[in-house]
Amino acid sequence: MTEPPAPTAAPPGLGQLFMGMLMVALSAFGGGLSAWSQRIIVEQRRWMSNEEFLTGLTVARLFPGPNQINMAVYVGTFFRGLPGALAALAGMLLVPFTLLMAIGLLYFQFHSLPALDRVLAGVVAAAAGMALSMGFKILDEYWKDPMALLLAAVTFVLMTFFHVRLVPLVLVAGPLAMAWYWPRRSQPGPPAGEPR
Amino acid sequence: MPPLLLAAAAEAASCAPMRLNDLGHLLQVMGTFLGLSLFSLGGGNTLLAEYHHLSVVQYCWLRPAQFADIYALAEAAPGPSSMIVGLLGMGAGWPEGPGWALLSAYGAEIAILLPSTLLMVVACLSWNRLRESPWRVAFERGLGPITLGILFAVGVKILQTADTNAPGVVVSLLVCVLMLRTRISPLWFMAVAGGLGAFGLINR
Repeated sequence: MTEPPAPTAAPPGLGQLFMGMLMVALSAFGGGLSAWSQRIIVEQRRWMSNEEFLTGLTVARLFPGPNQINMAVYVGTFFRGLPGALAALAGMLLVPFTLLMAIGLLYFQFHSLPALDRVLAGVVAAAAGMALSMGFKILDEYWKDPMALLLAAVTFVLMTFFHVRLVPLVLVAGPLAMAWYWPRRSQPGPPAGEPR
Repeated sequence: MPPLLLAAAAEAASCAPMRLNDLGHLLQVMGTFLGLSLFSLGGGNTLLAEYHHLSVVQYCWLRPAQFADIYALAEAAPGPSSMIVGLLGMGAGWPEGPGWALLSAYGAEIAILLPSTLLMVVACLSWNRLRESPWRVAFERGLGPITLGILFAVGVKILQTADTNAPGVVVSLLVCVLMLRTRISPLWFMAVAGGLGAFGLINR
């Protein structure tokens, strides 16, 4: 059980990156993509250390784009630059996207069938609940920072009640919020203390 | 039934679909998604309200119920749920036939992923310099609360779009609580709720 921490393996080539991310995507059918990519990339193939992997998660969450997809881009770039990123991305998306396209074609062909529409009405109710939970999921991180809660509340009100669109909202509110949270030498944390 | 018909006619008149019947329009759609790519904060879900606006209100590719369906399908399908953009593109191209729908689907997905991917590559290559930069710290701390507000707005928007009857709304709220309090796979919630829909308990 307690294997010694083996040295990291030779850096993967483009084909290996593609196959590795394909394996991650296939293993993660049903969820847990992040856990599976850690298991396969760090533990099984030993391409990178756990620390390097966690750095990747940080970068993937920070920058725009879907987290899982950014993570694949990070792994690919880490070893082979832009070509590696594209190979990893293709491996990650090939099977799920093909499947989704098949689902989509079936949906647009048959969605007017009453039986299917009835089932979908129920599924949609559950999916709406999932969408509603997204904000609450990260609310804890900001609970002790009144300024953050104010920013979030203003953003919510502007979008929901005044129908302000995303792009102008982010372009105006983003720089203002960044100015407020600009790190000050004397005061390294955000004004109301580090989130948790 | 005349009021219903009138309403339907009014809706059709107010929302003239932008037909994707030539390459120019397809490129226009791709341009729209290219421009949105870098605004996908917080893992991409922040874009959902914007997707709704584009596909239901502005371009009329989808009816509101179809948007809700597509969101649910993208959540239920394995893989990153941000692939919903592929389904939006498919909806846009569907009137021209399945072949064009697939082309439009791939075009939309590539467009939404390309800018964020290129930025991510640059970020990875220069991370050692970025890591300690005040820009990174300010970006992370400043955009977080805005992302939080957007995600709440997106949740409300999807709930409105789902537009189910009272039992449906109760199920939505219950699923929201269960998502936060348990680690049960959301696929179970969708399966059970789909069953409730099949028996007519949830409808819209």
